[in-house]
Amino acid sequence: MAAPLKADYAFDTEDLESSAKIVKFAVLKKHQEQDAAQERELASFEETMLPHMDAAHNLAKWLLRDEEDARDVVQEAYLRAFKSFGGFYGSNGRAWLLTIVRNTSYTLLKKNRAVDLTTTFDEEIHASGHESVSPATLLERSEDADLVREAMDKLPVDFREILVLRHLEGLSYNEIADIAQIPPGTVMSRLARARGKLKECLAARIGKEK
Amino acid sequence: MNCEEATKLMDGYLDGELDPITSQTIEQHLRECHNCDQAYKTHGSLIRAIGNATPYFKAPAALRERIQSSLRQEIAKEPVRNVVEDFPPLFPTGQRRTVPSVIPWNWLALAAAIIFAAIITFNLMPRLQRPGSDQFLATQLIASHARSLMANHLTDVASSDQHTVKPWLDAKLDFAPPVVDLSSEGFPLIGGRLDYLDNRAVAALVYERRKHFINLFVWPAASEAAKAPKTITRQGYQLLHWADSDFNYWAVSDVNPNDLQTFKQQFEVRTPHH
Repeated sequence: MAAPLKADYAFDTEDLESSAKIVKFAVLKKHQEQDAAQERELASFEETMLPHMDAAHNLAKWLLRDEEDARDVVQEAYLRAFKSFGGFYGSNGRAWLLTIVRNTSYTLLKKNRAVDLTTTFDEEIHASGHESVSPATLLERSEDADLVREAMDKLPVDFREILVLRHLEGLSYNEIADIAQIPPGTVMSRLARARGKLKECLAARIGKEK
Repeated sequence: MNCEEATKLMDGYLDGELDPITSQTIEQHLRECHNCDQAYKTHGSLIRAIGNATPYFKAPAALRERIQSSLRQEIAKEPVRNVVEDFPPLFPTGQRRTVPSVIPWNWLALAAAIIFAAIITFNLMPRLQRPGSDQFLATQLIASHARSLMANHLTDVASSDQHTVKPWLDAKLDFAPPVVDLSSEGFPLIGGRLDYLDNRAVAALVYERRKHFINLFVWPAASEAAKAPKTITRQGYQLLHWADSDFNYWAVSDVNPNDLQTFKQQFEVRTPHH
C-alpha cells in the first residue's frame, strides 16, 4: 500500500519518504509484536493452569468413567480455557478450570445421551440386605480403594461430582457451588445425600460379598 | 437444637462450613445427646476413611504433552489480523478524499513514532525491571516445594510426633524452630526436612491437608522483618508469609487459600508465644 502512494507524491520532501519507511518498519515490528504477545499469553496461561491438570483429569475421569473420554475432555477444556483466558482475572485458577472441565464433561455426557444423568443405582441397593452390615465392618472395608471406587461409580453423576470436589480437592462449599452451578445453600444437603447414598452403596456391595 | 436439626447440619459441621454460632449450638447438642454424638463420630470417621481411600486419577504425562502441543497449534492457526486495520482510522472514510494526502502521512509518521516508542518501551521494560526479592524468594520456595514432592524426599525425619521432629531439627540447625502437630485441626504433621533458602539452612515442616501437602519453611527473622502477612499466588501454588518476633514463616501448597489461612491461624494459636 505504501509504495504506490509514495510514487504519486514523489515530488514531496525527504521527510515524507523517511516516514513511509518508519511505517513499514512499524508494521513489520507489529507482526512480531503480535506473535510475541501470543507467546507471552500462552506462557502465562500455562504457568497458571498446567499445575491443575491432575485435578482436571481426576474430575473428568470420575464424571465420565472412561479414560479416553476424560483425556479428550481435559484437552478440550484447556483449549476453551485458553481462548477465554483474557477474561480471567481471579486468583482461583483451579476452580475456574474445574468449572470448564465440568461443563465440557456434561456436554459430552448429554451428547452420548448417557443414562448416567438419571439415577440408576436404586435396584441394586434395594435388592440386597445391606442392613446387616455393621458400622464397624463398613468402616473397616471403606479403606478398600477398589470397593470405594466401585461404590462411587454406581452413584449418579451429580453425587460423584460433589464427592470428588469435596473429598479429593478439598474445595469449600462456596467453590463447589460455583463449579457445580448450584446455590451455596444446597451444597450441604446434596453432599449429605451423596454421602448417604455412598454409604448405602458400600454396604450393599459388602452385603453381596457374603 | 433438636436431634433432627443436628442431623441435618452434621455434614456442614463435619466440613467446618457452618457459621460459628451454629457450630457452637451443634457442639452443645453433641455434648448433651449421646446418640447424636455417636452418630457424628461414626459418620466422621467413615467419611474420612472413604475420602482417603477414594482413588485420585492423576493426569498421565502423555496428556500434558498432548495439551501443550494443541495449545501451540491453536496460536499458530489463529490468523494474524490485518495490520492496517489495527491503526485507528485517521479520518472518517467519507472525508478522506477531500483532505490533502500530505497531512495523513505526517499523521502516520506521528502514529508510527508513537508505536515505535511503545514497542521499544514494551520490549525493554521487562529487562530493566529486576525481580523483587520476594518474587525471587517465591520462586525458590515453589521450586523447593515442588522438588520435595517430586523426588521422594518430602521428609528427612518422618514422624507425626512433634517431640521427634523438633529435637531432630534442633540438632541440625543453629536455631530451634517451633514444631506443632495440627492433626486435631485437620493438618497432620508428616515430618521435617532440612532445606536451603535465601542463602541459609532452613527448617521445612511438612503437613498434610487431605491429599495435599503443605511445606512450612521456617528460619529466624531479621530484626526489621515485615510483620504483615502476605499472600502470593504463582503457578497455581499458594504462598503465605508471616513473621513473629523470632521467625519468618513461608507456607507453600496447592491447597485452597482458605485452608492455608486456617493453617496459619491454627499454627499461630498452637505456637507458644515469646
